[in-house]
Amino acid sequence: MKLSTVQADAIQELGNIGAAHAATTLSQMLGSAVEMSVPAIKAIDISELGSYMGEEAAAMVAFELQGEIPHGGYIVFYISRESAIRLTNTMLGLTDMNRTMNEMDESALLEVGNIMVSAFLDATAELLGFIMLPSPPALTIDMAHAAMSSLVAQMGEEIDEVLLFSTELVCEEHKIDSDIIMMPENTTLARIVELMENMMKGI
Amino acid sequence: MADALRPDEQTSMIGIGEYRVGSFPMMTIGLGSCIGLTLYDESSKIGAMVHIMLPDSAGRKDRPGKYADTAIPLLIKELGIKGAKTKSLIAKMAGGACMFEYFGTNLNIGERNAERVRAILKAEGIPLKKEDVGGKVGRSVTFFPANAGKITIRRADGTTGEL
Repeated sequence: MKLSTVQADAIQELGNIGAAHAATTLSQMLGSAVEMSVPAIKAIDISELGSYMGEEAAAMVAFELQGEIPHGGYIVFYISRESAIRLTNTMLGLTDMNRTMNEMDESALLEVGNIMVSAFLDATAELLGFIMLPSPPALTIDMAHAAMSSLVAQMGEEIDEVLLFSTELVCEEHKIDSDIIMMPENTTLARIVELMENMMKGI
Repeated sequence: MADALRPDEQTSMIGIGEYRVGSFPMMTIGLGSCIGLTLYDESSKIGAMVHIMLPDSAGRKDRPGKYADTAIPLLIKELGIKGAKTKSLIAKMAGGACMFEYFGTNLNIGERNAERVRAILKAEGIPLKKEDVGGKVGRSVTFFPANAGKITIRRADGTTGEL
């Protein structure tokens, strides 16, 4: 679906609130400040996805959006492989950057992804009264395009264009750069837009 | 592989649902559950590559390269127009992985993609000479029709191989 400027602004605001909560939890876990970008909304033709998400290695913790709408799309905690090692090193008190990632890293990343995405979705639920529950998390550490395109392939509605809502979360002190990326199904998107519009009418 | 051919600026990048036909180098990056399929005619050194996302078009015609059932007949036709011999075509494929285990348990699109490609190739009478499919790993594939149809595969961990 195509978004008007007002609708895009509304969703950006929703992303802002969700990401602010996620940033707070990340900041608490790391014990240092976390900055967030203004949420970006991109409509990308599937044939162009490779220009946004390429061969770079990243850790991605993916959740299906469930709840009121059973298969509502996906939300992903995305972190480059280097940042992921810095993140788990910080959490586990390690310093070696040139190590292979192990089960401990994986469970730490799953946990961080879980906490951040839950914070994001809690905040949006509180704002809109629209419940999106995260499924159990699934982690992959691989090429960004391989993982993200696999999620697009299993979207319920067939799409030629994917809508990405992403907010960057950066911790300067530990040089950790991550993103929360939401890929809603059209049904989810329509519901969010409707609720945001109703809310703004009430103001 | 000291003599390995490398993708260069001449290499044509093939996104999801796209395809190319010719003798120039072609590449698809980051195949997850998608399939990178190549068809090649050695005598004319003409090949085709497609980045398939789903097994079935269910009647859709606007993006034939996106689906296994529409992509393969299209490639065969276009190869014929460019002068490749249909009878001597051979196929190779890579991809069809399951990147996320949890989601994979109920809906393994990668596996379904690979099965569909095998079935359609069989029905079309095109031998599937080699495949590197499945697992939980992303793959980038480069195809060099002019160099005897050589195919190189690169994985996220940096390991490379030939198909």
